[in-house]
Amino acid sequence: MSDMSENRPGWGLTATAFTVVAFLQLPVIVVVLAAFSTTSYLTIPPQGLTLAWFGKVLSDPTYLSAIRMSLILACGSTAISLVLGVAAAYALFRKVLPGSEAVTSFLMAPLVMPAVVVGVALLQFYSMTGLRGSLIGLLLAHVVITVPYVVRSALASLSGLDLAVEEAARVLGASGFEAFRLVTLPLIAPGLVAGALFSFITSLDNVPVTIFLISASQTTLPVLIFSSVEMGIDPSVAAVSTLLILATGIVLLLAERRFGFHRFV
Amino acid sequence: MGSLTFEGLGKSYGEVEVVRDVSLTIAEGEFVSLLGPSGCGKTTILRMVAGLVEPSRGRILIGRDDVTALPPNKRGLGLVFQSYALFPHMTVFENVAFGLRRRKVAGAELDKRVKEALGMVRLAAFGERYPRQLSGGQQQRVAIARALAPHPRVLLFDEPLSNLDAQLRDEMQIELKRLQRNLGITTLFVTHDQGEALSMSDRVGVMAKGVMQQFAAPEDIYHRPATGFVASFIGKPNRLSGSVKVREGAGGRLALGSVEIPAAHIDQPAGAKIDIVIRQEAVAIRSGIPYPGEVAGEVVLRSFSGARVQYVVRLAEGVEIVAETASHGPEAALAIGAPVGLAIDPTAVFAMPPEGATP
Amino acid sequence: MMSRRQGLLLIAPLLLVLAGFFLVPVLMLLPTSFGVYEPGAGLVKGAWSLKNYSQIVSDDYYREVIWRTLGLGFSVTLICLLLSYPLAYLIARGPERWRVPLILLVIFPMLLNLVVRSFGWIALLANRGLINNLLMQLGVIGAPVKLLFNFVGLFIGLTHIYLPFMVLMLVAAIRNVPRDVESAAATLGSSRTHVFMAVTLPLSAPGILAGSILVFVLTISALVTPRMLGGPTYQVMATLIYDEYMQLLDWPSGSALSFALTFMAVAIIWLSSRLTKRWAGMA
Repeated sequence: MSDMSENRPGWGLTATAFTVVAFLQLPVIVVVLAAFSTTSYLTIPPQGLTLAWFGKVLSDPTYLSAIRMSLILACGSTAISLVLGVAAAYALFRKVLPGSEAVTSFLMAPLVMPAVVVGVALLQFYSMTGLRGSLIGLLLAHVVITVPYVVRSALASLSGLDLAVEEAARVLGASGFEAFRLVTLPLIAPGLVAGALFSFITSLDNVPVTIFLISASQTTLPVLIFSSVEMGIDPSVAAVSTLLILATGIVLLLAERRFGFHRFV
Repeated sequence: MGSLTFEGLGKSYGEVEVVRDVSLTIAEGEFVSLLGPSGCGKTTILRMVAGLVEPSRGRILIGRDDVTALPPNKRGLGLVFQSYALFPHMTVFENVAFGLRRRKVAGAELDKRVKEALGMVRLAAFGERYPRQLSGGQQQRVAIARALAPHPRVLLFDEPLSNLDAQLRDEMQIELKRLQRNLGITTLFVTHDQGEALSMSDRVGVMAKGVMQQFAAPEDIYHRPATGFVASFIGKPNRLSGSVKVREGAGGRLALGSVEIPAAHIDQPAGAKIDIVIRQEAVAIRSGIPYPGEVAGEVVLRSFSGARVQYVVRLAEGVEIVAETASHGPEAALAIGAPVGLAIDPTAVFAMPPEGATP
Repeated sequence: MMSRRQGLLLIAPLLLVLAGFFLVPVLMLLPTSFGVYEPGAGLVKGAWSLKNYSQIVSDDYYREVIWRTLGLGFSVTLICLLLSYPLAYLIARGPERWRVPLILLVIFPMLLNLVVRSFGWIALLANRGLINNLLMQLGVIGAPVKLLFNFVGLFIGLTHIYLPFMVLMLVAAIRNVPRDVESAAATLGSSRTHVFMAVTLPLSAPGILAGSILVFVLTISALVTPRMLGGPTYQVMATLIYDEYMQLLDWPSGSALSFALTFMAVAIIWLSSRLTKRWAGMA
């Protein structure tokens, strides 16, 4: 990465780039502003500032139960995806299975398929099997859409591994599982964290699949916001969105600090 | 402790046979090298002993125990990898302690055993370092300590010195040999470097294309090669195209162009096209008119390599042979063009199938 | 060391979950797509029809929606490419100390909830939203410009959503271009622009293609952003599928549309992977 002087990007390019970066942050800034605004429409500068909307959101049982449900689904599906996905990735890595290329494509397929199609397919399937509105149904639906991220990051991490370290552990007396747990797993952990993070976000974020499968009594946060917006802008939506922005920002910084997250995207 | 025995050991991958019918016994405390070019099967054998590869045929016994069906973690072996394979996320201490912990050794006993192992490789002070902070040679020694700490019955080495530079390699050879002698541990050492194999081992197994060519003490391998392959692999051979001129009893005379060379042992019939293999060291060079029985030649090139001097000598009609002599000896300073006589020991001349055929 | 049986045991649970909760449900849409729906009466038992598929190409409204979806796909992809490349180039080839902050600034909106981001655009683009208010305050316009519930709104919103994907893929592609090839071109007399056109751009082409395919497929599949920024009347394929299932309850038609959309996505991906393989042979 030397020779900077030769290839230093010019001013025009730099300016364009930074404009794009600013563009990317635009809606985020707007939402945060709206959350503090006293009026339900936005002006620059805002008419007045208040924390009232946050108070409203944090005491509203509908919002709270939606947040709870989103977190349950995100944590649960990520945990299940990690177990199933790492096991599958490991089996593929050891190259003991025939047709591993086809299998890998199959495991990635939920990423390729339009999410709305997955949603309606599960809607029909769950209606026929009585799973509609059930927690386990929602959980497994989220596993389907999140596990490809775990598999992808696990495969990427494993590919950088020297198999000899596992063999060394075996010869030294470790069983297959011990060798995996004590040697392989710690070495692929950083990549797995990235995969888990994407998985968590995908579940937390999801509307196109979830919206078909929820019941009237339990909804998730993004679906709630989605439906609320259809009925008109309310700054409490901005408030809960700001809380999400805050949480996401903190998690991103932590992931970057601890694991150098930017290497895995 | 124990001896190591192979009975009819074989391994095939589909149609390809990479190890064919290897049977031998390594005595307890013996240091044996498996030597051969890459692809000869030596590493496959090592990995079968370790349990990392399943044999297609045959058995492996340690002492009197048949371990063929046992998984690698139940065989009580030590294995030192070519890439060292240290656990990067553990300290040196934890690396060495790994095998002991699997055997439920803990506390003060664990401490003592780890320190003992590190002491054997003179790295006692390095316990808290991480592998990435160590040099290649140091990592090598940690790998050895790690393999030795659990007191294995048999010690396996997979080309452990190939990644070291030349001087370090020589030092490590001596150190390893001394270590092995002190511990008296049965050792199987895989290498492609013949100097290494000959200098360190009690016995050497030379392999080519999955077949054991010869399994004997280093002197026997060197002076009494059993097959043409061993003859041409060990030492510095001349390999020249020729034919069998005439057969006389077990041997006869070989034709190298218009030059005739007597050989003590020939398998092929008269007239057969062969490759003639003669060790450079088996060609004695002497300046002047050739004595009876010697072959006449003329020095074309001289090459000084420290302890030895090589001469390229032209025999009649553009047939050239390389002879070697001590650099402090009487024939060390022959001039280009000098007439010489070459005395070639008939027992050191081998008639082999031409290059490209199976050895 | 690991037997085939152990490998199968490890992968079986995931395969079963995906088979049961992905493959089978999607396949089961197929018979539904040939079904006949009677408004108010529900699914007509035992009736089969190709109408659901034929109307996709014959019905004016469906055609309009499909063209609109594809049009969005192409235009969003193109503008993402144009806007992303400079930023990606800066990240890949610019000063070292800018790299991580820039990447984080690109990732951050990507991690943010999609609904939140779309909501932000509503606040910006609405008739009483920030942009219109600002422009009217500055006197640039007299009355609010319609930036929502039309192509413009969707175009802006979708571009914003999928820009980060394109940027990250382009960064990877540019980083794969060996710098010494560029240096070689420079020493042979190429100007900076020429190095870019003749070396960097062609060598990053596979990444450009991969990023474009990804953004295109994501754009034509999008549901949340088009619904929020387009409202209930300005439809794309995904929102149409949603309405057919949830409002009109015409599951047969919705299934047929789903397969049409899936077919488009898969076909584009397959075509591009063929192209990439051919290019890889030439690279």
